[in-house]
Amino acid sequence: MISLYFDPGLGAMIVQGIVAFAAGVLLFSKNIMYKVKAFFGLIKEEDDTYDSIDIDEEDTENNDDTK
Amino acid sequence: MTTPNKTAHQASFRDPSGYMFHDGKTLRRTVNPIYFPQYNKLKETGFFKTLIKKGLLIGHEETEASEERIILTPEHIPFITNPYEWSFEQYKHAALLTLQIQKYALTKGFILKDASAYNVTFHKGKPVFIDTLSFDFYEEDTPWRAYKQFITHFFGPLVLAKYHGTEIFKMMQTHIDGLPVKLIASLLPGKSKLSSTLYTNIHLLAKMENKHSEDYKAETKVAKLSKKSQDNILTNLFNFIKKLELNEASEWGDYYNKTNYNDQAFEAKKELIKSWVLPMNIEKLIDVGGNDGTFARTVLSDVKDVIVTDIDANAVGYNYHQAQQNGEQNMLPFVCDVLQPAPGIGFNNTERNSLIERLQAYAPDVTLALALIHHITLSGNVPFEKSAEFFAKFSDHLIIEFPKREDSWVESLLVRKREFINHFDFYNEADFEKGYSKYFKLEKKEAIAGTKRVLYLFKK
Repeated sequence: MISLYFDPGLGAMIVQGIVAFAAGVLLFSKNIMYKVKAFFGLIKEEDDTYDSIDIDEEDTENNDDTK
Repeated sequence: MTTPNKTAHQASFRDPSGYMFHDGKTLRRTVNPIYFPQYNKLKETGFFKTLIKKGLLIGHEETEASEERIILTPEHIPFITNPYEWSFEQYKHAALLTLQIQKYALTKGFILKDASAYNVTFHKGKPVFIDTLSFDFYEEDTPWRAYKQFITHFFGPLVLAKYHGTEIFKMMQTHIDGLPVKLIASLLPGKSKLSSTLYTNIHLLAKMENKHSEDYKAETKVAKLSKKSQDNILTNLFNFIKKLELNEASEWGDYYNKTNYNDQAFEAKKELIKSWVLPMNIEKLIDVGGNDGTFARTVLSDVKDVIVTDIDANAVGYNYHQAQQNGEQNMLPFVCDVLQPAPGIGFNNTERNSLIERLQAYAPDVTLALALIHHITLSGNVPFEKSAEFFAKFSDHLIIEFPKREDSWVESLLVRKREFINHFDFYNEADFEKGYSKYFKLEKKEAIAGTKRVLYLFKK
């Protein structure tokens, strides 16, 4: 591994555990809320120009097959 | 780097993995042997390929490979915009792209080793990651070392813009390494501490950074962080940023309701511009002060590459939004104040080029300046000769609209000069033509029907 050419900040490295914990709690509760809303049919389709954080690899792999 | 026509790119020196260099007119990237293991793995596993196909990473070709170096030739990007020139939505998109790439990298056993906002620019209507060597191997259970950089380059500026407006992004001009966390924390309202995401990612981070800033010997053991935990940080930041909106957001889409001429004149102006631009068969056009891109769009399908700048970040945002919705690949909007164009910043003042330098390199075939000269001249007090000099620096052809003294907007600007109104007697067609003749040849001149404005075509 290449040594770092900028300072990542020690505090920033340590704090990530707490940040992750808070994020985990939030995501977990959102997930539950989502399920509850879905149960009552309250989910609206979001219309925006943003993708999801996850990159969908499937269509790229299919393209490869045509080669 | 040895031959005279090969010079290292001025912004490319921080990362030992490689550097960019100009090979004549082509920009290429050298990969140093120290980075070969990473590079080969990224290539072999199809990591690069997937990201490039998805349009998330700039494409490249391996044009040379030896034991001393590998040379990549990346796809050409006509014009690089910098973070302090983005509208809110552009900044958001760039941040989300960075998180997407980091999350994807993690699943493939890599990480983004830096999360600089300068690693992203806009190309073909979308944000694209341009630093091909920013990836490294993921070490099990290590925190993300570019995390703080992501906060100072992306998350902080975005959150501050929410509360204080997009003027905040201009602070990136004075902080090339991102806004200091302490500063971000101090500029946020107290109620931001109630948000668990803002509290942990900014306020707590600022505290921790402060607490550990004196660990000169790097003695404290770095905490571990599972991959799942890191995923949670990334997903939560992604969700949060996606929902961020400006508090001051104004309604989009009524930019031309405030014109001082009627629809017919509006259409006449469009037709006139079209009839001048199209026969010139041009490839590159820039519309300076082009608002939401309405006039540039009249020739968009006939010009390969169109740039539209405006001082109003909201208009730029609306332009970007339209480009996204219409899937326009050749429209690049960005924020620019003509009276204060972006300077060269960073080490040696050359890490990020000034706007003029970038425009000169871009060399537009036609520059449009519609309903702009009265602002430059009367609000900015810039003499005609001076503004002509500015346009002459980068334009070959200049199509410029001159609103006469009788135009209601000019009248209102003049009235505001009060007792100094006589100092602006020079604001007339004759003096305008005289000033511009210093740098340009007058090719065409035509009154715009139904308005008190004249359209000029100048050639250098």
